[in-house]
Amino acid sequence: MPPLPPRFPDRILSWLIAPHLREEVLGDMHERFFRRAEQLGEVKARRRYWRDMLAYCRPAFIKRQPEEFPNPTSIAMLRNHFKMAFRNLIGGKSFSFINIAGLAVGMAGAVLILLWLHNEISFDQFHANKDRLYQVYGLTGNTDGAPFAIPITSQPLAPALKKDYPEVEATARVAANDKFLLTVDNKSFTGIEGNMVDPAFLQLFSFPLVAGSPSDQLIDIHSIVITEKLARKLFGTDDALHKTIRLDSEDNFTVTGVLKDLPPNTRFTFEYLLPWDYVKKIGWSNESWLSNNTPTYVLLKPNTNGAAFSEKIKDLTRRYAGRTDVWTHFLFPLDQWHLYARFENGKPVGGRIETVRIFGLIAAFIVLIACINFMNLSTARSEKRAKEIGVRKVAGAGRGLLIGQFIVEAFLTTVVGGFFALLLVQLALPVFNTLVNAQLAIPYSSYGFWLSALGFMLLTGLLAGSYPAFYLSSFQPISMFNQQFKKARLGLSPRKFLVVLQFTFAIILVIATIVVRDQIIFAQERDKGYANNDLIRVDFVGDIEKNYLAIKQELIHSGVAESVTKTMSSVTKVGSRTWGLRWTGEDPADTNTSISLFSADADLVKTAGLKLIEGRDIDIEKYPADSFSVLLNESAVKLMGFKNPVGQVITQPYSGQTWRVVGVVKDYIVDSPYAKIPPIVIEGAGAWFSTMHIKFKPGADTSDKLEKTEEIFRKYNAAYPFDYQFIDQEYARNFDNEQRTKTLAGLFAALAILISCLGLFGLTSFTVEQRRKEIGIRKVLGSTVGQIVAFLSKDFLKLVLVAFGIAIPITWYAMNQWLQDFTYRIGISWWIFAVAGIIAVLIALLTVSFHTIKAALMNPVRSLRSE
Amino acid sequence: MRRSDLGEFEEVVLLTVAVMVPKAYSVIIAEELERETGQPVSTGAVHAALQRLEQKGYVSSVLGEATAERGGRRKRLFTVTALGGRVLTEVRSVRERLWERIVPPTMLEWS
Repeated sequence: MPPLPPRFPDRILSWLIAPHLREEVLGDMHERFFRRAEQLGEVKARRRYWRDMLAYCRPAFIKRQPEEFPNPTSIAMLRNHFKMAFRNLIGGKSFSFINIAGLAVGMAGAVLILLWLHNEISFDQFHANKDRLYQVYGLTGNTDGAPFAIPITSQPLAPALKKDYPEVEATARVAANDKFLLTVDNKSFTGIEGNMVDPAFLQLFSFPLVAGSPSDQLIDIHSIVITEKLARKLFGTDDALHKTIRLDSEDNFTVTGVLKDLPPNTRFTFEYLLPWDYVKKIGWSNESWLSNNTPTYVLLKPNTNGAAFSEKIKDLTRRYAGRTDVWTHFLFPLDQWHLYARFENGKPVGGRIETVRIFGLIAAFIVLIACINFMNLSTARSEKRAKEIGVRKVAGAGRGLLIGQFIVEAFLTTVVGGFFALLLVQLALPVFNTLVNAQLAIPYSSYGFWLSALGFMLLTGLLAGSYPAFYLSSFQPISMFNQQFKKARLGLSPRKFLVVLQFTFAIILVIATIVVRDQIIFAQERDKGYANNDLIRVDFVGDIEKNYLAIKQELIHSGVAESVTKTMSSVTKVGSRTWGLRWTGEDPADTNTSISLFSADADLVKTAGLKLIEGRDIDIEKYPADSFSVLLNESAVKLMGFKNPVGQVITQPYSGQTWRVVGVVKDYIVDSPYAKIPPIVIEGAGAWFSTMHIKFKPGADTSDKLEKTEEIFRKYNAAYPFDYQFIDQEYARNFDNEQRTKTLAGLFAALAILISCLGLFGLTSFTVEQRRKEIGIRKVLGSTVGQIVAFLSKDFLKLVLVAFGIAIPITWYAMNQWLQDFTYRIGISWWIFAVAGIIAVLIALLTVSFHTIKAALMNPVRSLRSE
Repeated sequence: MRRSDLGEFEEVVLLTVAVMVPKAYSVIIAEELERETGQPVSTGAVHAALQRLEQKGYVSSVLGEATAERGGRRKRLFTVTALGGRVLTEVRSVRERLWERIVPPTMLEWS
């Protein structure tokens, strides 16, 4: 038996060498091998065989011969896919329009929401030290005795933390104020927010300086750090370094640093920073451990366990204040500041994160609805395209190729849709920004944005294209050419399922919108307990507090005001809270609950239109002893358990001050109109004041009265521009959040309905098209137009009704959860569902009717003459 | 020589083809070259050179009969084309003219 050439090199060669050369090459190799084996022996021949093999490893042998009739490569096929997709888009214009419009609107909605979500999630995430930043909270008892978290602390706490604990790298207190009057070259500005902060503030938070040295900022008491925006406003130029700004007509500050403008996604909104020492200079400092008035931020050293450290500082105030009946402390980490700032029982339980989740879900829903449209219309059109697919299959197209084709079609549609979506977003952004109260923008220059946009479109394309791709490509060619094919597909259930899904989403959003709207109206109609018409408020700035009595006299004498009262804060807000008040007949559990404080010098009942139930109003002018007289609201009377409240004495525990109750007012709404009304003690003239309420005389026009008021304030407080607030506007702002939720829910409900209807519209056109002959025969046999429209609409109506049935329990559950956040809330009544149902059915009917009526009116001759 | 597109190895292979015609195919050529030069010559190198020569039009080829020692595969037989023959003659005359111009004393120095 002759020796055999080694097999392995042969295998390599037959794989490596171009097919047209294989025969010669292997023939040569073998012949040479046998000749060598004869001359030199088998071993040498084998060795040489390997070496010879290497000589064939060159491009001349490896390169494949171009074929005369080239097989389509994947690139060519892809090109063909694009061509087909493009022709299909052009070919079915109305179909493409519905698809692209649906996808564009859906994607635009989703992109808007995603931009907003990104803004929410990135809040304060840009700080370099974000993992080590904490805010110090207090923890005490609420009105009902449950733990209550306070986001502010006393002023001596921050230095004590730094001094006592080596784990603390730096601390910063922040006192915000927008009342200072900023003057540069005789031009004055007010209403600009500034923060007085500890020098470490810029070490804690990453707000970069564009001018000035990063170290030693905010130490010198005459230094000020401003933002670029403020620099432009005050000096008309960015170059503000070493220039001087006067504050409140007495203090001059030199600009030592200019900050880059704050990004919109931070909790801070200041335009300038002042050294903390200025707090002391203007007499705002309060060294008491028992007065919480300032947010305190802490930067821990690297590798410090925040939770463990939080435990360590728990009793800081108790130790320093030397008492055990005051609040404890805990640290609230930065990553929860924005999204988890709602506390229940002293624990962060949620907050904006819930909105973020809900809107994320809605964004996903909307894209899904748009994708479902696409799927539905593609499968519906499949009847028209069945022959095309059949021919392709017969001609040898594999399933993979067909799937590829449909995916490419979907992707192309998505890209076109994406382009229009971007356009829509750009147009809608200004409106949307005012809606959600944010400064969102499309980050065109961001690499990541385009990447995620592409990913988003790919994903949407896949999502939208997958079902038609797999469904259409699964047809058997034989059944596609069969006449029975159309009939067999009519009762298809996945498509019905998809329509039901779409309408379920739409109906859920509609019901949600109605519930939110009702809740808002319900709270708006709640009895406020005071009259806020013709009522304005002017904050104490400059010399107003000093000249208060003179201003009051003049306002009343000039006939502008009916009455004037100075108070602790706006009547719409809680002035401050206190704990540990004592009274006769107290229940020990009640003395540590939170009680809200308010204050008035005289005529509060008259000015704010409160309803006096018992006793009299505080009036320092009539009763000089009224410095320490108090009014209670009904809730406070109930809490304290007084049978005869007037004349009772309440003791303030920290100062030992006693208050005598002179009257009781009906409960009035403070803070949230959805919440329970807290117990309120309205202190007399001995308390502190920050603002004054002015009740205008009724009648005449308001602008005239405002002008006169301004004149009076100009006289007594010349340095400051006249600034005032309407109380009814302040009260209305309480509803902003819910109004926003309502508008957004309504907007997205409209979007969902629009997209669903686009889909339904397209779907009807196909169904009607398919049943042309049936309709023709029915008409010939005597059906009326009404009967035909009814029988065509019936199928779609059934789907909408099923969707409605599914939506009811989901919405009922979800909206009940949402309402749990409000103490003062509506019950969900059946008519809300009824209205939503009727709206859905009507809209669906209207959408369907265009095609059904057209079909029903058609002359049967036209549909029956062919064939 | 119109162009210097005939490499040294190609020239030898082309000459060998001329010598071996009509039985010139890569295995025979490789063995002939091995015998003449004493260096190992692989069929791959020869085959590649033949491909280039064919591309330039100096040789033409046909598929021959199958033999058992080739595993039943056919061989490719090469012949020199008229163009190939002209190129060979040209190369040869250039060389010979140059050889004739070398003066005898120089030759003596080499030997």
